[in-house]
Amino acid sequence: MAKEGSVPAFSELVEIYQGRLIRFLLGRCRNRADAEDAIQDTFINAYRYIGSYNPRWRFSTWLFRIALRNAARISQVAEATADDIPDNAGDPLEACIVASERENLWLTARRLLSAEAYSAMWLRYVEDMSVRDIARTLERPMSWTKVTLMRSRRRLSAELASGHEATANGEAYG
Amino acid sequence: MVKLMDKLERRLKEDAALIKAELAPELQERIRASLESTQPAKQMPRTTKTPGTSLWWASSLTGLAAAALLIVVINWNGGVEPVVEVSDAVPPGITWSIQSGFPLNAETAEWTAPLEEELKNLQSDLEKARESVERDLRLGL
Repeated sequence: MAKEGSVPAFSELVEIYQGRLIRFLLGRCRNRADAEDAIQDTFINAYRYIGSYNPRWRFSTWLFRIALRNAARISQVAEATADDIPDNAGDPLEACIVASERENLWLTARRLLSAEAYSAMWLRYVEDMSVRDIARTLERPMSWTKVTLMRSRRRLSAELASGHEATANGEAYG
Repeated sequence: MVKLMDKLERRLKEDAALIKAELAPELQERIRASLESTQPAKQMPRTTKTPGTSLWWASSLTGLAAAALLIVVINWNGGVEPVVEVSDAVPPGITWSIQSGFPLNAETAEWTAPLEEELKNLQSDLEKARESVERDLRLGL
């Protein structure tokens, strides 16, 4: 039904995926407004080009791929106009995290890993995607995805083992 | 190391669950309104068949056509057979010269002529030796 362009049918898909997408996009965007713009564009683009969706792949793979493209585009625009509009909204991911005694590991991941490595880890451990699906979502080779996941795990494991999750001197990695 | 990885995976899942984010009702309404004002792009239907599955019958047809062509060619050659039968009435030597265009046995004769001459010389020597032995025997008797 959704593939035939039915708005009510597609709205059900929006209901299913909106929570998952916004949590992912908050970790990828500079602020909440950018994440909301990205999710809106993602659903509109998905609906507009639903005809090109190949059922051979999981719908979530296709949707997250669109979301990543939109997030990247919005980030580029934000970077280009960063001097014009000051960003005082704070970290959108941190604002949504329930208060805890220790630092949320996803904040650690975002601090230590590159944006793509963070995405790969999120898709693997939160969305339970296969390496193949992650590679397709990130539009990267399988080998790159495997290596990135392995390095990211090592980096976060080392951070867990050292117990210095709150240190803020790590260099982006992955 | 394995335990640390397990702990990492568990922590990643637990911490992801601590991220509470929902779309504001206004944004949901905005998305719905945008969807209603958007038309899906007209696209060609995606073919899920792979080239291999769509061409197997085509290659089979090609094979059948080739086989049929071969049968026709063989039958066509079979129909010309009577012409060969007519040529049987002609003496073999003439037929060979007509079909080949030049006499191949001429070259063979050139190659064997010295040998035949050598054979004649040997036979002549043998005859002379026999006559000489007979003459000696007659003289002895």
